[in-house]
Amino acid sequence: MIQAILDAISLGGTYALAALGLGLVFGVMRLVNFAHAELITISAYILVVTNDLPLLVSFIIAAVVTTLLAVAMELLIYRRLRGTGPAIMLIASFGLSVLLQRVYELIFGALPKSAAIAPWMSGEVKVAGASVTISSIATVVITIVILLIAGYLIERTSLGLQLRAAAIDFKTARLLGVRSNRLIAAAFAISGVLAAIVGFIVVVENPQVSPMYGVNITILALVGIVIGGISSLRGSALGGFMVGVILSLLNTFLGNARVYAYSWLFLLVLIILLVRPGGIMSKANEMERV
Amino acid sequence: MEKIKNISGITRFSLTELFGPILIITAASCLIGFSSASLMLTVQFALCYFVMVLALQVFVGNSGVLSFGHGAFAMLGAFVSGLLTAPVRIKNNALSMTDLLQSIADIQVNLYLSLLIAAIVGGVVAGITGVFLMRLNGLAAGIATFALLGVAYNFFFNNTKFGPGSQALPGVPKFQNLFIPLLLALVALVLVYLLNVSSIGRTLRATREDNLAAPALGINIIRVRRIAFALSGALAGLAGAMYSHVAGTVQVQDYYLGFTFLTLSMLVIGGSGSIWGALVGTLLVISVGQVLLMMEQGKAIFGLSIDLPNGARAIFIAATLVVALLWRSSGVTNGKEFAFPNFKKKSN
Repeated sequence: MIQAILDAISLGGTYALAALGLGLVFGVMRLVNFAHAELITISAYILVVTNDLPLLVSFIIAAVVTTLLAVAMELLIYRRLRGTGPAIMLIASFGLSVLLQRVYELIFGALPKSAAIAPWMSGEVKVAGASVTISSIATVVITIVILLIAGYLIERTSLGLQLRAAAIDFKTARLLGVRSNRLIAAAFAISGVLAAIVGFIVVVENPQVSPMYGVNITILALVGIVIGGISSLRGSALGGFMVGVILSLLNTFLGNARVYAYSWLFLLVLIILLVRPGGIMSKANEMERV
Repeated sequence: MEKIKNISGITRFSLTELFGPILIITAASCLIGFSSASLMLTVQFALCYFVMVLALQVFVGNSGVLSFGHGAFAMLGAFVSGLLTAPVRIKNNALSMTDLLQSIADIQVNLYLSLLIAAIVGGVVAGITGVFLMRLNGLAAGIATFALLGVAYNFFFNNTKFGPGSQALPGVPKFQNLFIPLLLALVALVLVYLLNVSSIGRTLRATREDNLAAPALGINIIRVRRIAFALSGALAGLAGAMYSHVAGTVQVQDYYLGFTFLTLSMLVIGGSGSIWGALVGTLLVISVGQVLLMMEQGKAIFGLSIDLPNGARAIFIAATLVVALLWRSSGVTNGKEFAFPNFKKKSN
């Protein structure tokens, strides 16, 4: 039971981090970045490949590469597409996502690569009489720490203020002196760091990394930011968390019918969207107009 | 003042706009299709993709609302038509279908009737879901339609009562020749063109251009979107059914993410505002893929043989998509309908 609750919270936390990364970028430039999946994947790949190095070194390499890739995406592709409308940017990001998947396939091969990353994490400890895995506790702790840091960054620093302002109204924020290029690049960099952390969390649980490794989590995180409330970062994270918790609970309690967990999740998403088109964090009648 | 936008797809009925694409499709299909057996198959697949892209054009192109849900209607169409036409003997004996409902296993109908049923089922399901979904806008609509695709995929992947589950449905009859899919594609093209020049098509484009002014002029946005969604759902059902009769099998993975995004990319690359854009996008993506495939296999193209390493093809296709969008974000045709090239110097 405790394990089930911890699993739900840790899965929710993972999706919340992925959703936060996606939400940051969406907030500043209305871009649904499908290629976020490939940021998570590259982080996982690098952790697997550099498994011989100490964990910290290996993670730092992964984080640096992932962040550079995220910033490169913005500089080389998304910057040139700014102002073309969300649909075109979304399709472009999907193209980029497929492109990177194929590049990974060329570099790392189509078959999953795996390595035992931080094997001590799969051990179990006794908590209140029940045994739980260390990795689920670690995930919960990491998530809470990162969310606190991100919360501080977003609520208390000038960068965070600019990010929030840009998420609400990008044009006005620019008029008031927010430097758009720098801000957007910063948003991509932070989303890269978050993706690297998500990559670390998921690769500990499932070390079989293949080119499409990050796709599933990204899609669910996307669903999360929409039901949470697209226009607020807090809503994004909350939505991601909810999707993870719901999915985990469905998996635990559906029993044999758990293969249909996704159907129930998506039906729930549909209902939430129909009742609250702007997401849970919005007012009842607020919705995007176009 | 903002410059007046180059509004795409404003059409009055014009024979050029209709017969230009018809001639090009017919000529291209026959010329390429009859040159080799493998190209014949490529052309048939291309025609299925074209019908799907037309379906997307009707709704996504005209209304400007993104839909990932059309893959679900195509999936439904493919399952309906595949299950209705597969021989009774195969359905009762195949290992992958021991759980199939007896009433489905014992039914078999004519290919043409099953295509019609697939289109009707696609249209009805799109019509019913559209009643709810069309209240949404923007990204919420995108994610909601995606949820629809997710439910359909999850259901068909795991359910063995209404299909083969994750396995392939064997024995789906193939089209006997090129002309059946060609004719279907042309019929779809004419229908979509007539729809686009009708009042529904025009009001829909009006809501895309300005969704505050359109209702002020008396347009009921939700109503026109619902109609277009149902009609394009029917076309998507037809496209999925056609695909199953070209492939000779139905597999749920064939209609999921890859299919949805490939067809959406075709539409966006060609220019989502017009039928001509749908055609150009389909032709472009298919031919880039085909040429690269032939290079990979080491075949000579126009006497030129370039050797590509395996795996490079997929990279090139994705790169083409990204580059095409960087180069011309409103699509190769800019959303304009077909017109004969005008070589006269422009006056301005």
